[in-house]
Amino acid sequence: MTLPSQNRPCFLLAILVGATALVALRLFDPATAGVFPPCPLRELTGWYCPGCGSLRALHQLLHANFRAAFAFNPLAVISLPFLAYGGASYTSFQIRGRYLPKCFVPAFWIWTLFAAILIFGIARNLPMRPFNLLAPGAVLHL
Amino acid sequence: MFCPQCGANNADNASQCTQCGRMLQASAQPGIQPAVNVPNYLVFAILATVLCCLPAGIPAIIYAAQVNGRLQSGDVAGAQLASKNAKMWCWISVGVGLLFGVVWALLVAVRIMSHHTT
Repeated sequence: MTLPSQNRPCFLLAILVGATALVALRLFDPATAGVFPPCPLRELTGWYCPGCGSLRALHQLLHANFRAAFAFNPLAVISLPFLAYGGASYTSFQIRGRYLPKCFVPAFWIWTLFAAILIFGIARNLPMRPFNLLAPGAVLHL
Repeated sequence: MFCPQCGANNADNASQCTQCGRMLQASAQPGIQPAVNVPNYLVFAILATVLCCLPAGIPAIIYAAQVNGRLQSGDVAGAQLASKNAKMWCWISVGVGLLFGVVWALLVAVRIMSHHTT
């Protein structure tokens, strides 16, 4: 998360929201507890979006169940290290005034990521194998 | 000129960035790094798309790709325009997410209330 100015209230709010979310995700399973809001797209259309299952995946990660986390949303699990680095960089900027070393991502790779997200989002909605195994948690019911 | 560290717009003769304090004159000389760094909000966009289930993150990713593509072809002004759009879509996705969260919380509250009264 790179906001191009030092902004203490925003930073503290982000920390607070993040910490609360992590504690809640560790305590409650989004698969069963009705504590977490459902995905807007899923709620309105019934389709899975590329992010569906990411909260359940985070819950499983916080309990060190990597296989289950991957089954709920592999994209979220893969992107977590990058998001964590982005968060660490933002934190470093707020505290020390400078971001962590950043490498320039060629546009080609961002377009590839964009295509991957779209294809993943479409594939997990297709009603036949192997695509429907990408639906949140589907692999766990094999 | 734009600060290579935080992207803030500074006066062309400024020696130090007004926002993050980075020395500007030394880095303004042609060197190893690309001369300017325009924020593309890619991390924010991925966060919105993958972790928050918000379709508004999709345009943010498209604009993030445009920022870097235009930087690669030397179109700094175009990159800054795309950067602005990327930022806007990030905030739209945050707004939509918050709005949906509030509406959902209200619905749950109403459901609980009606359970208690009936």
